Amino acid sequence: MSATKSTGCMVMSLSTKEYFIRETYKSVRRNGFMSFASISTVAVSLLVLGIFLLIFLNTNNLAQYLESQVQVSVYMMDDADEEDLEKAQKELQALPGVEKVTAISKEQALERFKERLGDQAKLLDALGTDNPFPSSFEVQVDSPETIKKIEDKINDIDKVETARFGQEVVEHLIQLTKILRIGGILLVIFLSMGTLFIIANTIRLTVFARRKEVVIMKYVGATDWFIRWPFLLEGMSLGFLGAVIAVILLNSTYSALLSRIYATLAFLPLLPAHPLMTYVTLFLLAAGTGIGALGSYISLRKFLRV
Amino acid sequence: MLLMTDVSKSYGSGVFALQDVNIHIAPGEFVFVVGPSGAGKSTFIKMLFREEIPTTGSIFVNGVDILKLGEKEIPYMRRQLGIIFQDYRLLPDRTVYENVAFAMQVIEAPYRKIKRTVMNVLDLVGLRRRANSYPNELSGGEQQRIAIARAIVNNPLMVIADEPTGNLDPETSWDIMQIFEEINSTGTTIVMATHDKGIVDAMDKRVIAIEKGCIVRDEKHGVYGYES
Repeated sequence: MSATKSTGCMVMSLSTKEYFIRETYKSVRRNGFMSFASISTVAVSLLVLGIFLLIFLNTNNLAQYLESQVQVSVYMMDDADEEDLEKAQKELQALPGVEKVTAISKEQALERFKERLGDQAKLLDALGTDNPFPSSFEVQVDSPETIKKIEDKINDIDKVETARFGQEVVEHLIQLTKILRIGGILLVIFLSMGTLFIIANTIRLTVFARRKEVVIMKYVGATDWFIRWPFLLEGMSLGFLGAVIAVILLNSTYSALLSRIYATLAFLPLLPAHPLMTYVTLFLLAAGTGIGALGSYISLRKFLRV
Repeated sequence: MLLMTDVSKSYGSGVFALQDVNIHIAPGEFVFVVGPSGAGKSTFIKMLFREEIPTTGSIFVNGVDILKLGEKEIPYMRRQLGIIFQDYRLLPDRTVYENVAFAMQVIEAPYRKIKRTVMNVLDLVGLRRRANSYPNELSGGEQQRIAIARAIVNNPLMVIADEPTGNLDPETSWDIMQIFEEINSTGTTIVMATHDKGIVDAMDKRVIAIEKGCIVRDEKHGVYGYES
């Protein structure tokens, strides 16, 4: 018989798996306070990360949405009469790239607003018989680029009060997403490092508490990976549990926010919870578990010379 | 079973822990390693399971040059050995049974085999009825018997014991030696470092004496040979 080389077979027997799980559970309990601190840190970090991610994705979405709009709202002055309106409509239709011009009368505008308010339409009763909405045209163009080209011409038309192109808003939003992206990367780096540090520290305590056991394991011929697994599992569990907390908080907050927004600011195109939150949830769970694994691995390399 | 050729261990400035050690131990032998404190006994023992690595020379355990093993192969080499220490090295938060079963879990033995084998081994060391006690509820001799059970539960080819009776009174020591005799009678090689003159003289086994890092005596039926 010789020192048998193992094939490094990664298939674990049932009792081995049970053994790992039991050891992990015991260790998390034994280090009660540090485990709690690690889980909380992971939860807070991932929650902040998640919030940031949602803001970023929504801003991005909003910018894209606005950018894809090929519609210009042209508002007429209050004193424009039927004739002026007709003339303006013809001129608009004659512009290059314009596909469709829809006239919206003062009454239609008011009606639309009432619809949008829904339950709160009664608020408008306060206006009495006054109608504050101007007549307007919705001008559909063939592409977003066309808007820039016909901008000046629209403003030159008689009795046009303002034309809303939305381009500036889009540009601001794109600027904002760039800042958010850079800020997000920095935030991810700092939060990950902090979380890694806490988890590595917890695992270091675990390794220290179990150093006698580790020595005995080595004497009776445990492989390095057999010794490492329970510690790695512990780190991964801490990360995963923290992520679960973050995910629960984030999911409930976002759906609460969505229902609030739908009720009051329905025109704000927020991303719906599904499938967005599924992805965010999976991402955060993976991130938490990954950070946990990495944190323990760092600690094991440093403190567990097996 | 064990072959050491020209093994030396020096620590930097020309201080030798061991010097030119040549030894052959046949399978099934029972060998005492004796010598004054600091003579190199511990270094010698630790080299057998690659806890210490010699500066020069080679060590064959069961035909394998253990100095040429990769990191990954060391655990498998150690599974052929049973190692016993003076201070028992038990896990205080585990029962007698769990302490012994631990050695089998670690090498991923199947659950049912663990239960059967551990109970048999506890029988052999006379601790079956204490299986559910914790180590600190037991006497020193009983604790050392747990450690012996743990060392032999995986059926090692060689048992290496570093002063196993060092903390025990003479009577208890004799109990321990009887267990060693029993293990040896099944063909397991035993290498035991000891200070116990009474035991060495009475057991009439091979004795290797180390002084100042050199083997000064190697007798088939030796005695302790020092004032105790």
